[in-house]
Amino acid sequence: MAPDIPQRSEHPGKAGALLDTLTGSWSDPRSGGNIDAMHTHDDHDHDDAHTAPLTETQLRVKALESLLTEKGLVEPKALDVLIDTYETKVGPRNGARVVARAWVDPAYKQRLLRDGTAAIAEFGFTGRQGENMVVIENTPKIHNMVVCTLCSCYPWTVLGLPPVWYKSAPYRARAVIDPRGVLHEFGVDLPEDVEVRVWDSTAELRYLVIPERPVGTEGMSEDKLAELVTRDSMIGVARVEAPRR
Amino acid sequence: MNGAHDLGGMHGFGPIDPEKNEPVFHADWERRVFALNLAMGAWGKWTIDMGRYAREQMPPAEYLATSYYEHWLFGLEKLVIDKGFLTREEIDARIAELRKA
Amino acid sequence: MPLLTADRVKQVLTRGDRSRMDVDVEPKVKPGDRVRTRNIHPLGHTRLPRYARARVGVIDRDHGVFVFADASGNGLGKHPQRVYSVRFTARELWGPEAAPRDTVHIDLWDDHLDPA
Repeated sequence: MAPDIPQRSEHPGKAGALLDTLTGSWSDPRSGGNIDAMHTHDDHDHDDAHTAPLTETQLRVKALESLLTEKGLVEPKALDVLIDTYETKVGPRNGARVVARAWVDPAYKQRLLRDGTAAIAEFGFTGRQGENMVVIENTPKIHNMVVCTLCSCYPWTVLGLPPVWYKSAPYRARAVIDPRGVLHEFGVDLPEDVEVRVWDSTAELRYLVIPERPVGTEGMSEDKLAELVTRDSMIGVARVEAPRR
Repeated sequence: MNGAHDLGGMHGFGPIDPEKNEPVFHADWERRVFALNLAMGAWGKWTIDMGRYAREQMPPAEYLATSYYEHWLFGLEKLVIDKGFLTREEIDARIAELRKA
Repeated sequence: MPLLTADRVKQVLTRGDRSRMDVDVEPKVKPGDRVRTRNIHPLGHTRLPRYARARVGVIDRDHGVFVFADASGNGLGKHPQRVYSVRFTARELWGPEAAPRDTVHIDLWDDHLDPA
């Protein structure tokens, strides 16, 4: 059986060993043929980060940023705002509020299903990678799951930036061919009479799943309901759990 | 193109292995690559589709063995060179300088 | 376009990209129509995945008119076309062993498909 190709820097040793076994001409001229340069395991922030030599990846990034800054092509403060926006300001708490509103307000839910972009804009969640929103709802008979097999397309405005697993080969490869296996891995098992409907985000439409509202949440406030809604449930790989009493 | 990025239906990649409570970025260089891509894209010299296509052109074995932001780094280097913002030579020279520092 | 400065970031992010186009393009097909995707293998950029080529599906919805990614990705301009959500059964894509009820919806452009 072919070895699994690791997707992340968690398995740098395996990736290195695998690449070493590729016969022929593969080498990376940028790293002077040093295959280990493609790893990122030593790029995590360690206490000794400042004394350790920079990895090839860090050198390449630093080279680009310094050159582009010197030439007036990027402004460092703008870079910081971009980073801060997606690291701290935009995230799945946005989508959770949309879902909670849909659960308590049937008219809002209808607006959401009819024109996701406009209904989500009622919260002010607009902009990049959310310009064309399509909202889909899970029911007892239909379970929706979203993927981008070709890259990583994801509704940034309501969920922030996608998690590593969403952008990596295992999910992208399996979601369309074995969605029930994927769901099982996430702890969701669905009966055969439920349709699993996978949405491959191949164009500029971005998908948000309204998970089923769990039993046992009757009478909860919208804010409390929003706290229950997880990112994974809005991608469609998890259900929302009722709060434990 | 029939590249390695076109992953739908492929076998052999193993478990999805989600990280619990994962941070948005796993290293500072990832933050910079993310922001540099958006900032350079703002010049309008390439469309979002050209940005994707640049990343798709990574050699397949490299694409499958590297992380998401390494794909973005590859794509950005290719785009800034192809669009004439920087040359390969000046990037390499700067890398060499930084390596010695 | 000028250099992206910190004070303009929020505006730029909020504006987003203009992939949806305000032009009239007559729909090639409509919801409920059967379509067959094309068997194309371009060397350049395409958003028609290999697993969905030469497959029969049904138009689920018409999303409207957008920049055609296959053209835009190859530096060939916008070529506005309609984008449809096309519904394929799992068995159509993956064979008779696939789950009988499951489906995959893929967003495809006019140039990716023909009436079946």
